[in-house]
Amino acid sequence: MPRAVKEKSKKAATLPAKTPTPRKTKFQADLAPSEDSMVRVLKAELQMTSNTDFLSDALALFRWAVSERKRGHRIVSESSTGERKILLFPRLERVAPEVTLPHVDVQWTDKELESLAELASGQPAEPTNALIRAMRK
Amino acid sequence: MAVTIRRLEEFDEVENFDCGDEPLNNYLKRHAWTNQEKVSIGVTYAAVDESAPRTVLGYFTLATSSVPRDRFPQKYVRGLPPYDLPLILLARLAVDKRFSGRGLGHAMIAEALKITLRVADEVGCRCIITDAYPDKAGWYARYGFLPLEGASATGPQKMFLDVRTIRRASSIDSFLPERA
Repeated sequence: MPRAVKEKSKKAATLPAKTPTPRKTKFQADLAPSEDSMVRVLKAELQMTSNTDFLSDALALFRWAVSERKRGHRIVSESSTGERKILLFPRLERVAPEVTLPHVDVQWTDKELESLAELASGQPAEPTNALIRAMRK
Repeated sequence: MAVTIRRLEEFDEVENFDCGDEPLNNYLKRHAWTNQEKVSIGVTYAAVDESAPRTVLGYFTLATSSVPRDRFPQKYVRGLPPYDLPLILLARLAVDKRFSGRGLGHAMIAEALKITLRVADEVGCRCIITDAYPDKAGWYARYGFLPLEGASATGPQKMFLDVRTIRRASSIDSFLPERA
């Protein structure tokens, strides 16, 4: 074995193991010409040169919006005259807590379940007059 | 006023709906259609007048749910069928305050109970449950809804109406006057 190679392997054996750096993920998107132009304009306005910085900032903003909406907070813009506009972004509304309100999973306390079981396992109550009227054909 | 109750439609006018309760207004304006047509977790029925058939005057939302049998206390399990308990959830009911006092609430609860009975007959369900605001519990009680124990002091009051009671009411050939 040549001397240089031998020394190199000896040195490598004595060095502490390096922590592997996480691999960066490449992100590629097909943009319509209008969207591409929008990206360019925004980058210019924000004095950004790289797509990576642009995506990183956009991601941070979107992440913030999602977290706010998840907490039930609304995202509002207010003009200097006090005029307010509420952001209604359909995808964000999917994470808003109100969406889950009529969900089929009803939250029960133990006492409510006990009360429900007692009523459901017993004899049914007689209908009230209002119920009889409501059920008229 | 000739009121019709039907499923909410995409181009119904809901923006001016105001029942005086912001969460109920908000639900109709922002979520009812999506929940009905896109994610299918609840169906909203709208009360409309023939003279303005797109303007929603009142609405209610129904969904299905069930309680796993193993969540019930042991002492009651014997009296229940050996399956999860299927139920209908009356998730929302609201009337635009400009049209209150005209019997819309009665018309809508009647329709909700008739739908419940149809569901019970066609696919099976044991009861209808609602989360009533404490000040509205008396109104539901008039229709036979019974309060469940265990509600928090400030939260909604869960109320129960047995499908067998509804079925019995529908089979009574009554001569009751329109107003009690």
